[in-house]
Amino acid sequence: MSSQISIQKRQSKTTRWLLAPGIIWMSLFLVVPILMIVYVSFWTQTTFNISPDPTLASWKQFFSSDTYTGSLWTTVRIWLIVLACTFVVGYPTALFVGLFVKSKTLSTVLLVICVIPFWTSFLIRVLAWRPMLGKEGAINIVLLKLGIIQQPIEVLLFTELSVIIGMTQIYCVFMVGPIAFMLSRIDRNIIEAARDLGAGFGRIFWKIIFPLSLPGVVVGAIFVSVMVLGEFATSGALSGRKVNLLGNIIVTQVGSLKWAMASVVGVILTVVMGIVIAGFLRIVDLKREL
Amino acid sequence: MESRILKPALGLYVALFVLFLYGPFVVLTIISFQQGPEGGPQFPIIEWSTYWYRHIFGLTPPSRIAPLPFGEALLRSLVLAFMTMVVSTVLGVMSAQAFRRKFKGSGVVFYLIVLGMMVPGVLTGLGTSLLANNVIGIERHWYTTAFATHVAYTFPFAFLVMLAILNRFDASVEEASWSLGVDPWTTFRKVTFPLIFPGVLSAMLFAFTLSLDEFPRTLFASGRDQTLPLAIYGTFSVEIHPNIFAFGVLTTLFSFALLSVYGLLMAMSVRRARKMAMQEDIA
Amino acid sequence: MDTSVFRLDGVTKRYGDLVALDNASLEAGANEYISFLGPSGSGKTTLLRVIAGFEAPEAGRVFFNGRDITNLPAHERGIGFVFQNFALFPHLTVIQNVGFGLTHGKSGLSAAEIERRSLEMIELVGLSGMEGRGVDQISGGQRQRVALARTLTMHPKLVLLDEPLGALDANLRSRMRTELRAIRERLGVTFVHVTGSENEALAMGDRVVVLDRGRIIQTGTPGEVYDSPASPDVAHFLNRFNLFDGNLSGGRFNGVFGSVPVPRSVRSDRDVYAVRYDRMRALPVSADAAGPAIKARFVASEYLGSSMMNFFEAEDGHVIEMEHHLSLGTPQTFEARQDYLLTWNPEQAIVFGREASR
Repeated sequence: MSSQISIQKRQSKTTRWLLAPGIIWMSLFLVVPILMIVYVSFWTQTTFNISPDPTLASWKQFFSSDTYTGSLWTTVRIWLIVLACTFVVGYPTALFVGLFVKSKTLSTVLLVICVIPFWTSFLIRVLAWRPMLGKEGAINIVLLKLGIIQQPIEVLLFTELSVIIGMTQIYCVFMVGPIAFMLSRIDRNIIEAARDLGAGFGRIFWKIIFPLSLPGVVVGAIFVSVMVLGEFATSGALSGRKVNLLGNIIVTQVGSLKWAMASVVGVILTVVMGIVIAGFLRIVDLKREL
Repeated sequence: MESRILKPALGLYVALFVLFLYGPFVVLTIISFQQGPEGGPQFPIIEWSTYWYRHIFGLTPPSRIAPLPFGEALLRSLVLAFMTMVVSTVLGVMSAQAFRRKFKGSGVVFYLIVLGMMVPGVLTGLGTSLLANNVIGIERHWYTTAFATHVAYTFPFAFLVMLAILNRFDASVEEASWSLGVDPWTTFRKVTFPLIFPGVLSAMLFAFTLSLDEFPRTLFASGRDQTLPLAIYGTFSVEIHPNIFAFGVLTTLFSFALLSVYGLLMAMSVRRARKMAMQEDIA
Repeated sequence: MDTSVFRLDGVTKRYGDLVALDNASLEAGANEYISFLGPSGSGKTTLLRVIAGFEAPEAGRVFFNGRDITNLPAHERGIGFVFQNFALFPHLTVIQNVGFGLTHGKSGLSAAEIERRSLEMIELVGLSGMEGRGVDQISGGQRQRVALARTLTMHPKLVLLDEPLGALDANLRSRMRTELRAIRERLGVTFVHVTGSENEALAMGDRVVVLDRGRIIQTGTPGEVYDSPASPDVAHFLNRFNLFDGNLSGGRFNGVFGSVPVPRSVRSDRDVYAVRYDRMRALPVSADAAGPAIKARFVASEYLGSSMMNFFEAEDGHVIEMEHHLSLGTPQTFEARQDYLLTWNPEQAIVFGREASR
């Protein structure tokens, strides 16, 4: 009888079988590819070929080129600006949807309204900003008609500004969702109690509402950061190739079969990414917030 | 809550926010009705017409503008999204099911899975194509390498959806089934699965949508045959015509159709969920 | 030869640092009705779940039908389980619920035979005519019957019931009590019933098992447990004793009521003097009590149908309860906030002490 497998052992065997396919898939098609990027970044690149002889050449080339290091700073700058913009644009909306709207139906409807644009292809959504921002675009037409401006604004399209506007619009919903979710979980009685004690809205906001919504802000910030840092399509389509993010460099390098350089940029992007996500995860434990 | 000033002000803000969100789509819809084939993708509208919609379906007389090469790409994207949906939902359900029991290393496994949605697509795409192209030396295809990256991307979403559903699942119905002599696998098929089906539908929807519109991973990891986002990207480099906008409007409408089907399926299974909720009320 | 239906041998179960079951041993014969009584957190539900196979014990063995089933998964045990929340399958009808085990288990029966047996069992629990309904279209009491029928169609030799009446209202509860007993006697299976209610445990069990902090502290017939609780804790759970602290020495118990001779006592880790509620008598405060006496103020009374409960408060704040069975005549009436002298026959008291004479 003692030769029987115990229930615990049987259960942990089931757990292993359930997890194995997912773990294998993620290791093979996520972890190994990322390790490949690190590996290939030390390969030797010649004009038409690449060979696995280890060298630091591509790394030296990256750090000695203003174009490459410049794109690193552009990426960080655009990321910070877009992150701030999505937060500023998204937080009041989340506040309204998550806290001020009392009817559950209305808040669901508002959230659905926010999600609907995602049913249009991402690339077409990016493209739609061109007739919006252009010299003869919708914004200039409206502003001219209203008499607010006399001359069309030209800096709207094919500049860093257009990239930032486009990215903010595309990604701000990822900020709204998690924050609204955290706000909707706040116990209204706490706010009522604080009000009964004579606290004004500003005080209640900074002492209660904002701290309680912080996990949502962090989750939203992780979403936005992941997407903005890896971007290349929006910057490609709306900047007229003036804004070069790390992602754009990778695309052009792969396009000209410079795999080693693409890998170097990939490793740098991974490192930036890792620092950003680790930083955010220090503020909030993602697993506990679920 | 200072509702006299603050609430209306915020309401107005949300209205502006929605305008900001929908502005480009409105402009896109307007321009899709631009006159053709001379009218370009900008204002002013020379004359309202459905020319570009007809152009998509090849119903216009031949002109210097070639029809969008989207037919096969769309088919590939749909097949790829379907494959991705099935595999990532199965993986998501399995992993979330495993997470119902505490086990050693659950934190590591959790982050390994969630990593899939945290690593930018450019990196997964680049890494996979390096692995296939340079290290192993196999050809890349949308249905092999790109498919693998798609699942690695959508599986975490399916996993999180299922985790949230199973966290709220009352395990006593499963135990009841075991105590009636029904083995765990049959119990899963006959009890657990029917009851978590609304969640499975959400996971499937997530996976399908994400895969259908996936671009950076596919750009690197697929081979010659383009998926729909790649075909659209291809038009970026050449001159843009309003036909791409008309196409955007059409795909959005198609998405709505799909969403309605989902809503219908959901409404059907919500009846079951409500039964479940009523039973929990007694407890 | 092992004639018991099930036997527990030193079963221990921990949740982290918390010991849910501490070396529990127990034996149950065929055709018995056993109640597990204990406060919440006493481990009674855990014990039931270990027997069912939903939880695995860290140490000890579980035997069923003379076979070691410690390592057998729940679905191979053939032990029925009725849940507090009934755990009906919400997506199935009444008859599908009742026939679930036969349909999806290893019964190998034809669909017609399964339907016949299910209908038979539905009739037994008095639900004929409801078989086609969804389980959300029936009342709480009817769900309870479906849960029972679903378990009984499998003809288990042992049925575990986890607070099966807890979700029902008072009226239904007392009716289901009688019905549970009747159904069990008809089928001749062993029932193990977990409850937090001492009334239910005493009324329903052929045998009562009292648990506290993961340990079995007394096993016996309801009469044995009621008349001679094994420890102050058992006396406390039974909710029928006034308990007084004090100390036992030299054959006398010294408490707030004075010093009383103790003819016999039960060994325990502390000194406690217990008097059953219905052994108490109240005298005017000026009266001269022959035996032990304690002055207390009348607080309130509660009419319980067959008896009257009177609540008094002693000077130290201790609440003393006195029960009067109405079959013994009309009860005394007391004036609110008046002092009375409470007394009892020391022969009828139960005394626990470190210095025991037994």
